[in-house]
Amino acid sequence: MEILQQPDASQQSGIAAIELTPDLVRKRRGQLRIIFDRFVRNRAAVAGAIVLSIIILMAIFAPIITHQTATYDPANTIPDHPKPSDLLAGPSWAHPMGTDELGRDFFARMLFGAQVSLLVGFSSMLVAIVIGASLGAIAGYYGGWIDNVLMRVVDAMLALPYLLLLFVLSIIFSNGTVGTVVLIIAILAWPATARIVRGEFLALKHQEFLMATRTLGAGDLRLILRHILPNAAGPIIVNATLLVGLNIINESVLSFFGFGLTPPQSSWGVLLGQSQTFFNAAPRMLYLPGFAILITVLCFNLIGDGLRDALDPHLTLR
Amino acid sequence: MAPILEVKGLKTQFRTRDGTIKAVNGVSFDLDEGETIGIVGESGSGKSVTSLSILRLLPTPPAEIVEGEVLFEDKDLTELDERDLRKIRGGKISMIFQDPMSSLNPVMRIGQQLLEPINLHLGLKGDVAYRRAVELLRAVGIPDPERRIRGYPHEFSGGMRQRVMIAIAIAANPKLLIADEPTTALDVTVQAQILDLIGQLRKELHTSVILITHDLGVVAGIADRILVMYAGHIVERAPTDELFANPRHPYTLGLLASVPRLDDVGVNELQTIPGAPPDMLNPPAGCPFQPRCPFAIEKCKTFPPDVTVGREHKSACWVDVTAPAEIERAKQRGFIPLRPVGGSFIGETQRSVQ
Repeated sequence: MEILQQPDASQQSGIAAIELTPDLVRKRRGQLRIIFDRFVRNRAAVAGAIVLSIIILMAIFAPIITHQTATYDPANTIPDHPKPSDLLAGPSWAHPMGTDELGRDFFARMLFGAQVSLLVGFSSMLVAIVIGASLGAIAGYYGGWIDNVLMRVVDAMLALPYLLLLFVLSIIFSNGTVGTVVLIIAILAWPATARIVRGEFLALKHQEFLMATRTLGAGDLRLILRHILPNAAGPIIVNATLLVGLNIINESVLSFFGFGLTPPQSSWGVLLGQSQTFFNAAPRMLYLPGFAILITVLCFNLIGDGLRDALDPHLTLR
Repeated sequence: MAPILEVKGLKTQFRTRDGTIKAVNGVSFDLDEGETIGIVGESGSGKSVTSLSILRLLPTPPAEIVEGEVLFEDKDLTELDERDLRKIRGGKISMIFQDPMSSLNPVMRIGQQLLEPINLHLGLKGDVAYRRAVELLRAVGIPDPERRIRGYPHEFSGGMRQRVMIAIAIAANPKLLIADEPTTALDVTVQAQILDLIGQLRKELHTSVILITHDLGVVAGIADRILVMYAGHIVERAPTDELFANPRHPYTLGLLASVPRLDDVGVNELQTIPGAPPDMLNPPAGCPFQPRCPFAIEKCKTFPPDVTVGREHKSACWVDVTAPAEIERAKQRGFIPLRPVGGSFIGETQRSVQ
């Protein structure tokens, strides 16, 4: 960094001085700053980001908010000798969202459920992006028979009935833990990502700057990871954002039908599944997790749309 | 002096659905250390394919080097494996492309791109590498390099980007620099600056240069020798002065006649070469220029050998284009002889100004 602070650097050249009027200096912004500014201009996306931040913070600080231990064990929160009035009780100061059929605080279950739902959504997104981006990159970069084979696998995956596959996979592999649920959801999610990344690579690989980089002696791996992938970052980030929402829904579907996480673990899907029996007695127990899923996924989609606009190089604004 | 690069009988073909395109048809030339040669020809004459074949940068399939050798430092580049080639690319031989607008990665800072060859070929890391990158930018005339090194390509003008490309190309002190139409996408004043820069670096670094262009004016000032290519063949080769003073191939005559001349504004119409370059799927038998050639004779149906017509001067033509009888015959077919102005051609005028 010394070299940057050499005193003569500023008076190096008259040309630079002419190029950089104070007005231009003020306008100069980093790449990230430009993207951020464009994102902020999209009100809906900003609202989504704010609401989602609140949800994530509440999930992270669930133990503090609900005065539970960090390792939440729903079994411990069941009152020892519940009175009938403690079960399926309506909202009160002690239980802002009421209690469930065993007398557990529903608000606590919702917040700890949020932890699991978000965790599953994010981790399965990461797994799906890593698999999808790698295979998509290989298919797009090498083309030929490799591309053919990989893309036919993708086609086959996308042609299978989605829910059926989800259920069959979980019957075969799932033992009701978070890890297996994440993997099963990721297996469903990667083909779409692979397609997007392949498309980006196909469009990018004939760019002249890649030929120029090849003349410098860069190998395939270097080209793919350092030179093409960053150029495809925009669509991948957008896809990742939308995937989190989609994966949260998939987790809920699985758990709702009893194929995903098993009680007493809590997730929004588990809550939905358990609560359907009590729809007449306590409809809030269905509405609340359903509403939480709706809001969260909506936030992810709004943010995804906002990012899509912000990252689109065709919308270059000054 | 021993040549650093010898290309012998290079043939590159593209296999397409419609047939085989013979883009380069047995090109041979050599290049001495520190020498600059210009390869001149119109679009599709095989100049770029020749240069890309040297570094084996054409995708196979469809492209294929079917014959020939490219000897560089006692190694035949056509037979090296990918790993060894990568050491040569950017290290010993580097390339500058036509369009500086699209030759830099838009999402990488200039510095990062400049550091690539420094890391890859010189093995320098960290501060030392960074300092070298700054020095390179300064050497190619980027003002305020300490600050500009953190810029993105879109923050640079076309000429500045080409300077950056040149900095990247010379980063690892290559023995050979291939410049594929380095000035075509730039405006004229910037063109001259970039050519000056290449000429100056060539002297300082003692690098050999292959300059590919369709513009005779560009090579006139900088090249030691010129190869004229047509339809994948080298049709004429000569030292630069000799070629401009004594062009011997009808195609070279056509090229020279089609250079606009400042001393001729509004007097004569600008000459063009009638017809179009041959369809490389079905090139004509014999001399490929024969269908467009005012000097064509019956013998042109068979391929002409390289005829030595002067000092290091060879032309692949059956006809002596300096013979008065031949000129008379060509005139009847619309040939207009070149008029030397003050005893010199446009290229030479330019050269003497420099």
